[in-house]
Amino acid sequence: MKQKEIIAVFDNDEDLVSAIRKLLENKIRIRDAYTPFPVHDVLRLLGRETRLPYFAVIAGAVNIIAALGFLYWVAVIDYPLNFGGKPAFTLPAFVVITYLLTILLTFLITSLLFQVRTGLYPGKEPEEVMEGSTDDKFILALGSNIDMNEKDRSMADSILRECGATDIIERERDNEKK
Amino acid sequence: MKETFIIPTKARILALVLIAIGVLAIVIGFAKEGPGTWSVLLINNFYFLSLAMGAMFFVAIQYVTDSGWSAMFKRVPEAMTTFVPVAFIVMLIMAAGVRDIYEWAHRGITATDALIAHKAPYLNIPFFYARLALFFGLWILLIATLRRFSLREDAGEKGETESFLKSRKYSRVFIFVFALTFSVAAFDWIMSIDSHWFSTIFGLRAIISAFYSAVAVIILILLWLNRSGYFPEMNKYHRNDFARYLFRLSIVWGYLWFIQFLIIWYANLPESTFYFIPRVEEPWRLFFRAEFILNWAIPFAVLMSDDIGRKKPVLIIISILLLAGFYVTLFLQVMPGTGGTVKIGFVEIGSFAGFAGLFFLLFMYTLSKASLKPDNHPFLEESLHHHL
Repeated sequence: MKQKEIIAVFDNDEDLVSAIRKLLENKIRIRDAYTPFPVHDVLRLLGRETRLPYFAVIAGAVNIIAALGFLYWVAVIDYPLNFGGKPAFTLPAFVVITYLLTILLTFLITSLLFQVRTGLYPGKEPEEVMEGSTDDKFILALGSNIDMNEKDRSMADSILRECGATDIIERERDNEKK
Repeated sequence: MKETFIIPTKARILALVLIAIGVLAIVIGFAKEGPGTWSVLLINNFYFLSLAMGAMFFVAIQYVTDSGWSAMFKRVPEAMTTFVPVAFIVMLIMAAGVRDIYEWAHRGITATDALIAHKAPYLNIPFFYARLALFFGLWILLIATLRRFSLREDAGEKGETESFLKSRKYSRVFIFVFALTFSVAAFDWIMSIDSHWFSTIFGLRAIISAFYSAVAVIILILLWLNRSGYFPEMNKYHRNDFARYLFRLSIVWGYLWFIQFLIIWYANLPESTFYFIPRVEEPWRLFFRAEFILNWAIPFAVLMSDDIGRKKPVLIIISILLLAGFYVTLFLQVMPGTGGTVKIGFVEIGSFAGFAGLFFLLFMYTLSKASLKPDNHPFLEESLHHHL
């Protein structure tokens, strides 16, 4: 059996959030939501809050140590120079470089992880769930006919209409795409 | 829905008791320790003046950025500014001790000290008080103007934006004036204690410290009011935004602190290092470290996570630590230069309590004079339902 999915289109984020709330109350599975800008409630309700900041903090801590270690190696072990009679290992002189290196490395590592996790890379073909999903439409994709019985289907339909969906489409799911 | 703040009897008694302790401490200070008490007065006065001016700066920032989330709390920082005229009076009273605090004001110092003689056209007593009067005049004028528009908005009709637009205009003026005058005020009143030393970033540090600690006080007062049943609409998102204010300001504070230190440390010129040398050595070393840890390290580490920062106990503890940190900052800026010693005894704590009581009493009095929420503020609804 071909997989089918229900796509509901909303005109604003409030309708979308209320629809998600009602669907979750009725235990209907939501596959994903697509919004032109981040809507915190959607992320919260669908359990999609990002864990990237935690990674960034850990990466930052590692990078501070790495940057300080690098500076120590340069200024003390490999090429000690006498600057104004100050000792080779002087923390205040290292702080600015450590600070900048930490920001740079943490940004690079974190954005790289972000791209890997979301499957983005330079030159990737644009992938749009529906026309308008990046402009002014708020889109909700529900589970397919396999994990939803007839009763749930009609209930989902009525909830979506009640919450102000401007368009409800049922279409075959393209399995090749992510 | 008009709601006004009623001064609780307990709070009024507490404030009056604190003022009594303060008067007692100042009297004991002058009787036992003599002119050294002037520096204690200067620290306390500048401390609470900073809180008042920082609170006004907070209101002005909300206006110029069109911030909606904070609209309903506007009256709290507004009421905190009532202290400014009192600070003016105390500064005028301190004219009696000006020769005890400032080295440049000592009699005959220009004859023996070439550098102070060179600075004498700027650092002399008549010009010092002319500037002081000008600064306080401008501040009081602008604060009164903004307060007037704020009250006129209440008297007007809902949906009218004239007072709001006027407030926004004068907020811009205030920020401009505040940046110029408050940095020069910090040069005059605090930095000139060490008459031979200078740091151009000193004024900016004073501004950021004032803003930083004013936000901490606003948080403490709001949590207290919230616990007493006012501002029932205050939710975790409001607290979250306040925590973010503290977090961002901790970064700015740490940055300014460090570049002031770094440049002097790197250049290693005796004419500027002499300021830091006594402060990094015993007996001031503890204060030097405490300043950095209280004002930067702890808030930065703790408030990094939104989920932790928005918790009430965390906010209370961090705010109190920041207020202690600001006192340590001022103590370290004033005391080594005026010949003070490492001593925080009854005179210091008592006079601080006195000023705090007076500040708190004036704050409550002004807060009770107007409706607690700016009822006709165009962003009030957004603030009541603030949500991320």
